[in-house]
Amino acid sequence: MLPTAKSSFKVRQQEPGAGQPRGPKFSSANAKRNRPCQAFPGIPGEFVLEAAPGVRRSLGASLRFDSILGTLFCTNRRVAFVPDVPPGAKAHPRCSFLHSEYDVALPCIGKLVAASSVSKAKVLTASSSLKFVPEELVLYCRDFRVLHFRFPESGLEPGAFRVTMAIARAQESDRDVAAWSDPTQLRNLENAQRSPEEEEDPAPTLLFESLQDWEQELRRLGPAGWRVSVANERFDMATSLPRYLWVPSQLLDNELKRAFAHFNQRRIPRLCWRHPGGSDLLRAASFHAASDPEKEDTRAVEALLLAGHARCVVVDTVADLPSPTEIQLAHVRLRTLCLPDPAVADEKWLSALEGTRWLDHVRACVRKASDVAVLLAERRCSVVLQESDDRDLNCLVASLVQLLADPHARTQLGFQNLVQREWVAAGHPFAQRLNLCRDGDRGEAPVFQLFLDCTWQLLRQFPAAFAFAEAYLLALHDSSYVPFFSTFLFSCQWERSRRGQHRAFGQLYTPVNGWRDAPNLKILPQASCSAPAGGGACLPSIWTWALHYSAQQRAQFQNTVYTRASDGHTAPPGCSKLKATLSETGAVFLLARGALAPQPHLFPWKNGSLVKKGPWRVPSSDSLSDQQGWPSSYPALLGEVLVPACVGPAIQLWRRCYLRGSPERQHGLFPPTLSGLTEELELLQECLNDGHWRAAAPPSPAESEEAGSPLSPSR
Amino acid sequence: KLAQMEEAPLYPGESIKVIAKDVMYICPFMGAISGTLTVTDYRLYIKSIERDPPFVLDVPLGVISRVEKIVAQSHGDNSFGIEIVCKDMRNLRLAYKQEEQSRLEIFENLITRAFPVSNGLPLFAFSYKEKFPVNGWQVYDPMAEYKRQGLPNESWKISRINSTFELCDTYPAILVVPTSVKDDDLSKVAAFRTKGRVPVLSWIHPESQATITRCSQPLVEPNDKHCSEDEKYLQTIMDANAQSHMLIIFDARQNSVAVTNKVKGGGCENKSSYPNVELVFLDIHNINVMRESLRKLKEIVYPTIDEDRWLANIDSTHWLEYIKMLLTGAVRIADKIESGKTSVVVHCGDGWDRTAQLTSLAMLMLDSYYRTIKGFEILIEKEWISFGHQFAVRVGHGDDDHADAERSPIFLQFIDCVWQMTRQFPAAFEFNELFLVTILDHLYSCLFGTFLFNCEQERVKQISTKTVSLWSYVNSQLDDFTNPFYVNYEHHVLYPVASLNYLELWVNYYVRWNPRMRPQVRVVCVWFLFPISYLRLSLTPLKITAQL
Repeated sequence: MLPTAKSSFKVRQQEPGAGQPRGPKFSSANAKRNRPCQAFPGIPGEFVLEAAPGVRRSLGASLRFDSILGTLFCTNRRVAFVPDVPPGAKAHPRCSFLHSEYDVALPCIGKLVAASSVSKAKVLTASSSLKFVPEELVLYCRDFRVLHFRFPESGLEPGAFRVTMAIARAQESDRDVAAWSDPTQLRNLENAQRSPEEEEDPAPTLLFESLQDWEQELRRLGPAGWRVSVANERFDMATSLPRYLWVPSQLLDNELKRAFAHFNQRRIPRLCWRHPGGSDLLRAASFHAASDPEKEDTRAVEALLLAGHARCVVVDTVADLPSPTEIQLAHVRLRTLCLPDPAVADEKWLSALEGTRWLDHVRACVRKASDVAVLLAERRCSVVLQESDDRDLNCLVASLVQLLADPHARTQLGFQNLVQREWVAAGHPFAQRLNLCRDGDRGEAPVFQLFLDCTWQLLRQFPAAFAFAEAYLLALHDSSYVPFFSTFLFSCQWERSRRGQHRAFGQLYTPVNGWRDAPNLKILPQASCSAPAGGGACLPSIWTWALHYSAQQRAQFQNTVYTRASDGHTAPPGCSKLKATLSETGAVFLLARGALAPQPHLFPWKNGSLVKKGPWRVPSSDSLSDQQGWPSSYPALLGEVLVPACVGPAIQLWRRCYLRGSPERQHGLFPPTLSGLTEELELLQECLNDGHWRAAAPPSPAESEEAGSPLSPSR
Repeated sequence: KLAQMEEAPLYPGESIKVIAKDVMYICPFMGAISGTLTVTDYRLYIKSIERDPPFVLDVPLGVISRVEKIVAQSHGDNSFGIEIVCKDMRNLRLAYKQEEQSRLEIFENLITRAFPVSNGLPLFAFSYKEKFPVNGWQVYDPMAEYKRQGLPNESWKISRINSTFELCDTYPAILVVPTSVKDDDLSKVAAFRTKGRVPVLSWIHPESQATITRCSQPLVEPNDKHCSEDEKYLQTIMDANAQSHMLIIFDARQNSVAVTNKVKGGGCENKSSYPNVELVFLDIHNINVMRESLRKLKEIVYPTIDEDRWLANIDSTHWLEYIKMLLTGAVRIADKIESGKTSVVVHCGDGWDRTAQLTSLAMLMLDSYYRTIKGFEILIEKEWISFGHQFAVRVGHGDDDHADAERSPIFLQFIDCVWQMTRQFPAAFEFNELFLVTILDHLYSCLFGTFLFNCEQERVKQISTKTVSLWSYVNSQLDDFTNPFYVNYEHHVLYPVASLNYLELWVNYYVRWNPRMRPQVRVVCVWFLFPISYLRLSLTPLKITAQL
């Protein structure tokens, strides 16, 4: 019997409730089985469908790699591998949510392949029939992991066959996210362990669901000229926008309401971030071409765009950047290329990598964000990011710009606030883009993953400027494919709240009492506690890292070389300075291909007041080069901005993420952690005091291996 | 006054040869910059205080491969130009006014000082008078290094047969050979190997006694000659390792090339003459292929980078592919020694290019000592300098024959492989990237005596008394070259992944002249790393007593 943690509980080995689509043959096989099964520490509501003991998990296809013996489970939630604990060894306490490299949530399974020496390898789907007893099972995960499971030599063991078929069926059933989030099953959530001695997060992540969060963050940015508007509190202005919006103070709500109709999906311009030098970053959808604005409407739109500034620069985030479709295409190609046995010869690998265009897309995004960040720092103006419906690349560019320009966004808390505000609250259609429910692949596009890759590029170029480390980005990358958390399940706040209410009315159970008195109340999102919550909305937020990452794993989130006052981030020579020759008030410019151009016809409507201002002076090519332009009023502030290099060699492949499936994966590629070094320091200090060395002999290969030694093989 | 502000700083022993005002440096990144040009016997120096901060170009003359007159267009009066092609991945263009005398003076001085050997002048290393607190010439003592390896022992002896360089003029004076081999037989083996480079020990495994031995190709010739002394000699090497009844010969070349070499008098070991020997070909190309690959690489990184085809262009140079083959070969050698407990013999043609690359890389993987700063210095001194890698010929120090077919970036490739390993094992090496870049910079600079001449015989007479060692400079400021993440896990063998998925172009070296490639922020010792290294240091004596 596997020793398990106090908090875990045995999972029922019985039939699930109704609504679980299962074949009769399948269930009878299950019922007939009558043998002891290892206790499996599950999530509330999780039950084991099949289990096969004596399975070996190996790092690669060939036998020359080390393998671990254990039991393979298929549950209604995931495929899990529980290693056998060698006698005498201390068992690792497993907690139900804990992320481990052995677990795969069902929606994260990309492809399932069964292999046998007597037959050709076969890709399994729910409907496929397996005509041989599999000797090996390979799971290709959507987060780029590849898991190999080898069944015991006596492949005639029916467990191998049964568990394989169970996984094949489970991966395509259970697509309803709501099933993940039945609140009745969450009574045991407090079981998800959190050691009591652990210190509480002093400042919890702002979820931007409450008015206080928006006000608190606006105070941090400096509220002069801006206010929080409650015009959309009931989502009656725009369903995909958050409840609260940052808008210019001089604009009253009734004026504001005039503007909604003239933008796609009624997504009006609103503030993202304020540069300390006075510039403002805004985001908006494109103008709704079919609307017919009155004069006052146009004035409201104009006031929103200019936001009290004399000049406004419109950044079309569609123009130079890839579309979600292109991002998806590149990602699919990248995934194919990064498979353990790519069809590409090693000598052509780099060309093939370039051919995926993924790195091009990363470069385009980083470059665009860098242009915008420099613009914000150099000029005093309002910069409006404009995308047709303001829900994909606007999220990406807005958050990247803030990473470059705002040191707070480069802390873990600041980064989480940023993702919460610019992605989750702003209505990035996660449900569709991540496609965890597999209801049609049409809208799938890893825009958020592209953002994480861009962030990794910045982290690589400015290792001392970020408080979090690569391990954190990887954790976030992987967690976005795990539907145990509410953060990435919904497409906007409205959908989240609707699901929540629907659930709350439909269920007699409300979880509120279940955990309101619990001491670990704070691990739950405040909003979901205070509001009548249910559905996926009552699942914990992804930011409660303690629920799914161990303290040791979380220690790796910290960047050991982070220095708050980071070294000179001056623009490198040759960095393009944006120049324009017009300095008229009320002028609108368009930023495209790194250059500013005056924009005579911003509005699609004929009676746009800006258009009436008369002929624009179109700069000739000569005048672009002369030095007249806007006074670069805050040159010193440019020093605060990270200006990343974007030339060919500067953008690299995120190997630790995408090449994880490769059998040659290296151990310990992470630099030593702060906690690891601190431990070693304490140990050494102790030895020095005691005066005997032996106790502090350098870690034996076995120990160091466990501690994430930098070196893989040992002798 | 202006001239004073634009004056060049000088090293002790350095003297100014010519100064010219208003010379224009045509920078491919920043445009034309006008300043004062100084040529000394060591460097070419341009400083312009027009720019803020002042622009400085400081190039050791040693890196210059070729100087050519060009016609510089569209730079007004400054219509006469020089193009300087450098060995360190850049080209420089200068333009100046048409004034017969000064033009001639600049050009002539540059030519003379950049190629002193061709002009009958000494290299600057012999004039350099800097004093360092540490004497780098004492870093490598062959006796001490062999003693560290546990030599001599019952199977291997330290032989002084080559003390006058008569057995082999490109080998060091001190060699390690099997105990039972008589000097007469050794001479006969020498006669059967190219340039007399007999199989000698490079490294011995402290536990299994498996050895890495290096040599040159056998002189098989078209008529399949064989030499019984050589056969017996290899048998002795195999017998010295009780753990295995096999000996593996790694021939770095392709099989076909090795066989074709018979026509030229060389060849490879004939299996029928050597029982219990396995012959493995590592398919590594020759020096000409590597030179061509680097030339292509320079084309794609300097001065401009084609962003859209960057990776495809890297593929087309094959540079990383060749790095991969070297690493693959070295991993196979290290694996045979470590896992197979089998002794290996490594050779190529002459046994001073690919052989040196492979043995030193394998030793770096097997022995953590070579991964320290001092250990790495010893590795270079031993496997490269003392065993006669033809530095003078391969680099062409002070020589104006830029088209010499003997030039090849063999040592650069080795350092690149080391860099790839430091990327894959960031905590396993005591030195940092700057250390490797510094070594490469001074491979060309001719400031230090370390990489001058071809072999020990040429060096003994003059080097250590008349020049300064690079290690004097390095070891005097170790903090600059220390990796703050270094953790010495002693008994680890490193097997780097030799796949193009994991190899990277060394951008901080090859693309470093491009200012748009921001150099990565160098991680300087973080505060908490100080106490750790301090404590480790203070515990070392304790550790030794505990082991006794």
